[in-house]
Amino acid sequence: MYINIFLYLISCIFVLLTHSAMLLNVYLHGNTESLTNVIVLATAVILLDFTWFIVMRLFRQRSFAIDFLLILILNMSVIFQSCFGGVHLSVKHYITCIVSLVASKVGFVLCRNHKWLQMQKKYVYMAIGILMVIILTLTGSRSMWIEIGSISIQPSEFIKPLFVLACATSVAEQQNKRKIACFFVVYENFALYGLIMAICLLQWWCRDLGSLPTFMGIFASGFFVRICYPKAKFSKKTLITAGVILLIAVIIALKFAPVYVQERLHADIWNDRSGSGWQQSHALIAIADGGWFGKGAGNGSLHEVFAYENDIVFATISEEWGLIFALVVIFTIIILVSIPLINPPRSYYHATMTAGVCAYFIMQMSLNIFGSCNLIPFTGVTIPFISAGGSSMIASGLMAGMLMASQSPEIKNPPVRRSTQ
Amino acid sequence: MKGIRRCQYIISLFILFFILVMAILTIKIRTEAKFYISNSDKQILGMVYDRNGGVLFDGTGKGWYEDNFFVDVGNLIGDNKGQMTNTLVAQNLDKLSNYSFSSGAIDDGKAAIYTTLDHNANRAVYNAYGFQKGCAVAYNYKTGEILVCTSLPSLDVTKGYDGIEYFESGTLISKNMYCTVPGSTQKISTVISALEILGTDTLFSKVYNCSGHYTNLNGDTIDCHNWSGHGDQNIQQALENSCNPFFAQLIENSELEINDIIKKYRKLGYAVNDDDMQYIEIDGIRCEKASTTLVDKHEFRTEWGCIGQGDTMVSPIQLMMWQSAIANGTGKMTMPHLIDHVTDVSGDITETAETEFSKQIFSPETAGTVKQMMLTNGTNHYTYSIGGYPLGVKSGTAQVQDGEKENSLLVGFVDDPNKPIAFCIMIEDKNSGFATTEQIARTMLDSIIL
Repeated sequence: MYINIFLYLISCIFVLLTHSAMLLNVYLHGNTESLTNVIVLATAVILLDFTWFIVMRLFRQRSFAIDFLLILILNMSVIFQSCFGGVHLSVKHYITCIVSLVASKVGFVLCRNHKWLQMQKKYVYMAIGILMVIILTLTGSRSMWIEIGSISIQPSEFIKPLFVLACATSVAEQQNKRKIACFFVVYENFALYGLIMAICLLQWWCRDLGSLPTFMGIFASGFFVRICYPKAKFSKKTLITAGVILLIAVIIALKFAPVYVQERLHADIWNDRSGSGWQQSHALIAIADGGWFGKGAGNGSLHEVFAYENDIVFATISEEWGLIFALVVIFTIIILVSIPLINPPRSYYHATMTAGVCAYFIMQMSLNIFGSCNLIPFTGVTIPFISAGGSSMIASGLMAGMLMASQSPEIKNPPVRRSTQ
Repeated sequence: MKGIRRCQYIISLFILFFILVMAILTIKIRTEAKFYISNSDKQILGMVYDRNGGVLFDGTGKGWYEDNFFVDVGNLIGDNKGQMTNTLVAQNLDKLSNYSFSSGAIDDGKAAIYTTLDHNANRAVYNAYGFQKGCAVAYNYKTGEILVCTSLPSLDVTKGYDGIEYFESGTLISKNMYCTVPGSTQKISTVISALEILGTDTLFSKVYNCSGHYTNLNGDTIDCHNWSGHGDQNIQQALENSCNPFFAQLIENSELEINDIIKKYRKLGYAVNDDDMQYIEIDGIRCEKASTTLVDKHEFRTEWGCIGQGDTMVSPIQLMMWQSAIANGTGKMTMPHLIDHVTDVSGDITETAETEFSKQIFSPETAGTVKQMMLTNGTNHYTYSIGGYPLGVKSGTAQVQDGEKENSLLVGFVDDPNKPIAFCIMIEDKNSGFATTEQIARTMLDSIIL
């Protein structure tokens, strides 16, 4: 155990105080039908806080900053989601938050030893392959959802953390360049190019082009690390070439995008408020209506609009809690992502992984917030930890676990399997 | 370590990019919040006032007003019900919104639009029409303040839109903003073009004979309203007599090339032949300019267009604006505006109108010459009907509905620095009643107090 007990207590108190202040705000200004609802919500939140404070100590970590930030954000999210349209504990979201916390520890345990993980590369590729096959076979007609009873699962969300791992594991291979004709190439790079192309095709097939920028962001972060390896500097020529190729690819993609994508790209939300601009226009009106300080928890009107709890959740929070608080929440996620800048990852592998995770978090937040506020086309992806949605919460939890692993890696060689002759 | 630092650079880039766009988004939301609210049912609107503080629109819906109090400005000021879109309120909902991002929507906010309109003068002009229809617009050609802008038939927006299907045609629009046949008021544009091409001396040296009709080189006949003819005339006499044969012969003059005329017309703002119609925006209200067909100067349609019939269409606002370029003596139009200043929810002035001028549409020499010609016409023919004002005017009679009806028009300006007013008046189907453009002009000028 590396944790300083004084810092640990201060952090616990900070998290508890933040959540208590929010709950007090719900009680004083919220749309509460009965005090019981607030008490149930408060009990659930504080209980989860305490449980996590104890559980996190069971793991041997150098830093617990991400653990504290994670519980801070997740319970904020529980409070938000429980207040939309009136205060009552959102049990479903509460459970997904717990699952997300568990996923974070699973991610931590699996990713803390990079040498071991490097050896499991083939399983990462296999897992992605299996998920793709599942999407192709088990989801509905050209859809991305698997319906099991009342639960909907989005398998493509799980591909995201695996894709981060695939990009990270490829870095070490960059030293093994082979000469083919007069070119020095790395075989694994071709595997990655193939993988991203397969993902692109799959997303197109599923009509889920909204997630594509996230995959491209993860791929780009890995690509930029890879192309310069092992030289510890960026090559301007390579960067410019990559930038130009990317630009051309984007132009071609926009030119040949499907009709429904073209419509979204050119949508005038204010002239088509009852059509393609329905969610964005309502989201912007709600943010304006909430102003800096909001209308009070549960007093918003955006919960009557479709996907208020995930696709346009930033606006829903802004309306009820105010734009300032919504920005604070987003800033907290930014702090979570910024931890590797303050406390650098201990290995090159983990550094590459954190770059991929950062790309995931930033791209998801950008697509959600900027899309719902009409800065870019509306895609309908989720904000990590804030939006409701089990698959996304698990994927985000796994990613947070990867960040934890980069902070507290296990630096020892994996057991060597001796071959018997 | 360098490799790890490189990964940190990438993370920093992602985060910086996100924070930068978030900052832009926050500023955008802060700036456009009023617009968002104005597109919702959460908005609480403020008031629209005239230049003397009289109410022209009450967004609160709480005030009491006598019957038809707003009828003279109904289709210009409009409301937020969505039935009329090209109106002051509909185009400026965000300015009227009693909302701020910090304080939210406030019931008794002070958001208001203070217009340049004179409600009393507007009402007087509206009443002067009696049961006839048409439109009238007048503005201060020094400052651009629109003082009168009424259009009949109209409506009192406080009464709502019950029985909208029985509303008379044109009730929901201000006709001042839309093109109409200009009749002989068009001859001013033709005189301006001829002066620009030939020069004053040459144009005044031209003398043509009117025998009551003129057969052009293609064999088509242009009739004069005076069947017995005006005899030999120069440009001044022809303008005062509004003589069609003179202008047909002027257009056919060998020194006037059709391409030069087209060029001058375009400079004035006409959409010639297949050109796209151009618009003026007056505080968000879209106003048509003018259009005509000029193909061959010996062709009936082209000559008829230069006289003010046929394909030629001009909006009353545009006719009035040309008068400002003449009256100012500069050849530059004073751009009209309806909003004098705007106050926000706290009562602070957020924007104030400034006088703006168009680019040069003809030379100051031409402006001076046309001004003198119109003043002479005013002195010679309108001293009795609109006495007491140094007026430059030109009348027009426009045949509409295939010649079945005639609209009467009068454009002009007052050459007085204390009352610098340019105007355009139009009465539809002039024979349907007893009102005349001269009477309305007199009422208008008498009731406007600057």
